[in-house]
Amino acid sequence: MQKEKKSRISLTVWPFYIWTALFVALPMVYVVVISFLQRGATWGVTAQFTLDNYLKMIDPMYGAIFLEALYVAVLTTLITFLVGYPFAYYVCKLPARLRSLVILLLMAPFWINSLCRLNGWMILLKSNGVINSILQALGIVDEPLKLLYNFGAVIVGMVYALAPFMILSCYNSIEKMDWAVVEASRDLGASPFKAFLTVTLPLTMPGIVAGCVLVFVPSVGLFFISDLMGGAKTVLIGNLIRTEMTTARNWPFGAALSMMMLVVTIGIIWVYKKVSGSNSLGDLM
Amino acid sequence: MRRTFTKIGLIALALVMTLSLFTGCQPAEDAKELVIFTWEGYVPDDIIAEFEEEYGVTVTYNYFTNPDEALQRLASVDGGEYDIVINSDYTLDIARNEGLMMELDKSKIPNYENLNPVYMSQFYDPENKYTVPYVPGTPLIIYDPSRVDVDITGYADLWDESLKDSIVLLDYDRVIVGLFLKMLGYSINETDPEALAQVEQKLLELKPNVRALNMDTPYETMLSGEATVGLMFGSQVAWVYNEHPDFKVVYPKEGMGFGIDCVFIPSNAPHADVAHEFLNFICDPEISARISMDENVMAINCNLKAEPYLSEEYLNNPALFIPDEVLGEKEFIQDIGAEYAEQYAEIWNRFKQA
Amino acid sequence: MKRKAGWASQLYIWLVLFVMYLPMIVVVIYSFNSSRYSNWEGFSWTWYERLFSDRDIMQTLKNSLVLAFFSCSLAILLGTMGAVGMARSRFRTQGLLENVSLMPMMLPEIILGMAYMALFSLSNIPFSMLTLIIAHTTFCIPYVYVNVQSRLVGLDPAYVEAARDLGATQSRAFYDITLPLIAPAVLNGALLAFAMSMDDVVISFFVAGTRSQTLPIQVYSMLKSGVTPEINALCTLMLLAVFMAIALFSLFRALIKQRRRRQEEGR
Repeated sequence: MQKEKKSRISLTVWPFYIWTALFVALPMVYVVVISFLQRGATWGVTAQFTLDNYLKMIDPMYGAIFLEALYVAVLTTLITFLVGYPFAYYVCKLPARLRSLVILLLMAPFWINSLCRLNGWMILLKSNGVINSILQALGIVDEPLKLLYNFGAVIVGMVYALAPFMILSCYNSIEKMDWAVVEASRDLGASPFKAFLTVTLPLTMPGIVAGCVLVFVPSVGLFFISDLMGGAKTVLIGNLIRTEMTTARNWPFGAALSMMMLVVTIGIIWVYKKVSGSNSLGDLM
Repeated sequence: MRRTFTKIGLIALALVMTLSLFTGCQPAEDAKELVIFTWEGYVPDDIIAEFEEEYGVTVTYNYFTNPDEALQRLASVDGGEYDIVINSDYTLDIARNEGLMMELDKSKIPNYENLNPVYMSQFYDPENKYTVPYVPGTPLIIYDPSRVDVDITGYADLWDESLKDSIVLLDYDRVIVGLFLKMLGYSINETDPEALAQVEQKLLELKPNVRALNMDTPYETMLSGEATVGLMFGSQVAWVYNEHPDFKVVYPKEGMGFGIDCVFIPSNAPHADVAHEFLNFICDPEISARISMDENVMAINCNLKAEPYLSEEYLNNPALFIPDEVLGEKEFIQDIGAEYAEQYAEIWNRFKQA
Repeated sequence: MKRKAGWASQLYIWLVLFVMYLPMIVVVIYSFNSSRYSNWEGFSWTWYERLFSDRDIMQTLKNSLVLAFFSCSLAILLGTMGAVGMARSRFRTQGLLENVSLMPMMLPEIILGMAYMALFSLSNIPFSMLTLIIAHTTFCIPYVYVNVQSRLVGLDPAYVEAARDLGATQSRAFYDITLPLIAPAVLNGALLAFAMSMDDVVISFFVAGTRSQTLPIQVYSMLKSGVTPEINALCTLMLLAVFMAIALFSLFRALIKQRRRRQEEGR
């Protein structure tokens, strides 16, 4: 510690500090402790130290699950970016009043129960559902298409649930951007495409990275989308943890899996801080 | 600075005070009350309303979706808070061993004698001290003969190549792994590694035929035409059959599994007297018949005197009336301990992942 | 430079919004479907009647609103105070505190839920609205904190310094300068937190008391037991409420703007 940097805590931090210590740190300690204990005979834990819960993750089955979850998360992030960035970019070009309306419309579905909204997708996609009925009525297909219960349906559900996070992050970043810089590069002879690649994209990078983190992190943990849309045929880490905590009754392993997820998440955020050069987690929103 | 704090402090104080108002306004202690903890719709609304009226009780209904989660929740309050719990049989075994059940005072349940002994004295309560059977059931196969070319008579037919991508299975390792163990000639609760390896191999071979796995609403997968064959709980089969009497219900020839969801009173139930009244109420033949026929329950009736109150449609539903000689020796899913429960779960994960 | 959006980009915006709302439109239409399982069969109010005759839904809705109100208020208070204070502080555990406080966003819900259940049970705190509020406040705080903090980082410290140079006390500077500047961020965070609180099933299940069941717990349980048309009806009503709230909010904002403009003209 350097002497000049005098330690000072603003008084307003204390309630936040105490709350975090009591209701976040304490449960966390509990989870960490459990992850190093042995499973009880019926459930719960017995007070005996072990590393087995972490070693167990080396099993190839879990490796396959992690890889699949990673694949789903990366794909979801990529698609939300490809859909969300242009959306955010175009919204920024709208007149101010329309802009806030569009953002409000985008946010509104957030207040409706997410399961209700997924139910809407089920009605759309199922074999006697809306899309198939229209296709059959138009004579485009004879047999109903199997749109539900496959990998594609899981991705659709994920993208749908998480796209708003990506859009909002990109939007915040693009809106703050100084358009004069883009104009300058155009004046210097850059084509619109080149100006976008060399100026707009790098300038809005913090928002993009923030959006990617905000989509990536929950997409690893969401469990009900793969259950409902994928016919439970895709096991993601969220599903795995839930099974371990309930039917498999192995709390320690569930806790260990969560710890691993947490470490990976913190790692991603650390990389984000390095890449974006920001020391503020705040840009995540 | 100080002013900021006084203001924030005042806001916080106001919040806490209104908060205590809300948490404080609980009904007076002497009011008759009953807290039920089970799946949504498992005790029909009209039954509850009638009980409230007749006994002057206010019923509070608490929901769960997962039997294991419910069990853990019950353990966290040490068998208190709830007065009536209805849960799956294997969780009952754990609940009893953990001391979470209250011994029933049968003198307060005159209707207890109406219960069909066929559904009693099971592994989770061999001396019938703690539980009242509520919904018995056996997993069955149902299929749409107009879209399925094979004649399905047992589990083994599910592996037929023509059924590619068309089966919906319960998303429940204990039931499906157990039934396929039975198909291979083992016990439903087999823990022999050789047998488990065998059943896992079979499951992996079945995967291409599986359209979806669904624990709670497999019947919707059938009704929407998404799957043409289903292996699910009897009451779920009964729903499908009700909508589509042309579908075929199969009693698998390799033998059937069996399960009973039971009612019990937790060991520290706050309103045990009312809970006994409730048990007596649901053991009444007419009430029992109405519960069995309710569209959200739809299950085998376990009351000896209920038959006169059961409808024609109910009696003709093959998923609800299974001749005893077909059912044969009922084998229950029992608790196999956490270690094997996990092995089953691992098999199931590998099956899903395949 | 603000170039106008071309017709293609406008089309794209509305197309994406259409897809966002497509499942909800379907839900609204199907809430009037007379058949429980199959495709459209005819118009009916059945599911709305069932919904209103449901014995619990009004109670769980009330519980959820009370819960969301208190946990959001507490989260706003703690999160904003925390973020503002952290910007002014410099201490050794600062980075750690910030990281730990954000962890509820990154942990699977079931782990948090079970950890809370175990802790409340071990410390003999009865499960009730209070335990629900504690749990919800905890996972709502990060949303407020993160929003406010990012706003504070982007804030030019010169504003506050100028006010202080002109003789304002620290609290005066906070009320007159900082607070109005961070208000939109507080609002954003609060809205997100509200949405999260109204959507949580898993954590609520483990910490709710017998008399404080929430709407999402009931909705999830109903969906799981296949009572979907009623849920569609409920979803439609919620959508209606959200749009009414948005309309009121826009109206309110327009009125304020108008008044401010008049005041400025009056000067």
